[in-house]
Amino acid sequence: MDNPIEIVSILGAALAVSFGALGPALAEGRAVAAAMDAIARQPEAAGTLSRTLFVGLAMIETMAIYCLVVAVLLLFANPFVH
Amino acid sequence: MMHSPLISETLFQLGPLPIGKAVAVTWGLLALLAGGSWLLTRRLRLRPTRWQSLLELLVAVLDGQIRDTMQVSPAPYRALIGSLFLFILAANWAELIPGIEPPTASLETDAALALIVFVASIACGVASRGPAGYLRTFAEPSWVMIPLNIVEQLTRTFSLSVRLFGNIMSGVFVLGIALSLAGLLVPIPFMALDLLTGAIQAYIFSVLAMVFIGAAVKETAGTHPASKE
Amino acid sequence: MTLDWWSLGLQAVNVLILVWLLSRFLFRPVAQIVAERQSEAGRLLDEAAEAKAAAERVRAEAEAARAQLASRQDTALRAAEQEVAGVKARLLREAEEEVRQLHERAEQAQVARQQAALALVEERATRLALEIAARLLERLPDSVRLSAFIDGLLAGLDELPAAARQALGAESAALTLRVPRTPSAGELEACRQALARALGREPELKVAVDPGLIAGLELEGSNAVVRNSFRADLARLHRELSHESA
Repeated sequence: MDNPIEIVSILGAALAVSFGALGPALAEGRAVAAAMDAIARQPEAAGTLSRTLFVGLAMIETMAIYCLVVAVLLLFANPFVH
Repeated sequence: MMHSPLISETLFQLGPLPIGKAVAVTWGLLALLAGGSWLLTRRLRLRPTRWQSLLELLVAVLDGQIRDTMQVSPAPYRALIGSLFLFILAANWAELIPGIEPPTASLETDAALALIVFVASIACGVASRGPAGYLRTFAEPSWVMIPLNIVEQLTRTFSLSVRLFGNIMSGVFVLGIALSLAGLLVPIPFMALDLLTGAIQAYIFSVLAMVFIGAAVKETAGTHPASKE
Repeated sequence: MTLDWWSLGLQAVNVLILVWLLSRFLFRPVAQIVAERQSEAGRLLDEAAEAKAAAERVRAEAEAARAQLASRQDTALRAAEQEVAGVKARLLREAEEEVRQLHERAEQAQVARQQAALALVEERATRLALEIAARLLERLPDSVRLSAFIDGLLAGLDELPAAARQALGAESAALTLRVPRTPSAGELEACRQALARALGREPELKVAVDPGLIAGLELEGSNAVVRNSFRADLARLHRELSHESA
């Protein structure tokens, strides 16, 4: 752990995951709230809505996953650490 | 320290080919799916048995999805989309078998799948519009968008592979951490979550493949909300 | 990071093989069987529709045949009724006619019988009256039987129309005088004189004896006849009686 690059990489990975979780969490909350509202208005469309909701949630979650991938890259495949 | 999820292990060498774990598992899944479907479709009758009804239901749902998403006749795309879905689902759920790592948790497999979708979208676009017609779609709505459209083609293929990889890899990773902390009972909720994630990701991958191919075939599919990913 | 290109290529090939295998063994046969079932179902539906149409047609035919049969039956029934009614009316008419004829005939027969009986009775009565008159007359003197009727003959001549009397008087041929018995010369002379007075001249007389007169005188010319005898009276009486009884 004497290499400062490694320390910075770990910090960067933690920051990436935390901030990467923040935005998608808020977005997913909004999406779910909107979907619940829509289902309450139109219960007969619940099937289509929930399917679309799941797909949208997975899309939003992909943002967090990208951050996770970046973090994993920093931790395991850092090009600056040999 | 855990081993890196980005490095694929080589099981053995077949001639000049290094056969990784993912490739071996893929072979197993391939044999399983092909053999299972061969067994199930060996005796199809007009009066269906229970298994045949299940298969027909699967095909009908698949056709409905393709028709809904792409607004075209499902027959030419059924095999590709259905096979992608079945393979990704089987690969994701292969995680449940102890000692087997899902092939989709390795970046090479996902990259190969995304590459297939990329090539298929180009091929379908060329087949339906002709080469010039397909190239002209890059200049829409105006020629200023040409570089952006080209970049979109590449990035969406990249994001397709990384999305699948990240989701499955994170599931495996989290499961490994949970296993290293407590071996009994604790991983079960994570496994259940992985099952759900695996099914959803297989569905999303198929839907996105449909959207990409549909966008290449027809303009109307471009209105899908996921196409601007 | 490093990508294992060998693995990437192998996975791509693997997935392509899987796509081919699944398309060969799963999707194509299942889609085929679904399409087959759909076509079969369509064919069965068509057949069912056809069979239904055929059944409908047969039913309609049966219905029509039944209706026709019923109408024919109805017609036959009506015709039979009409025929029966006609026969009945005819029989009735014939019977009435026969009865009427019989009745008529019976009435005629009765009338004839009555008339015959009446005629017989009258005949007998007339004959009886004539006989009675003849018997009674036989008791009178013979002279009465002839000369007493001269006045009657003259009255008869008076009753004739004047033209007929003059024609009788002017006749050149002999007048026939019918008498019940051979008259004596005195009686004949009396007759001739009486006639001469009545006719204005003395006629030529030819005497014919006819006992059937019983009593009386009858004068016959070529154009006129004057009857003045019991026979004529009785005959008139007889006619009048017959006439009254009829």
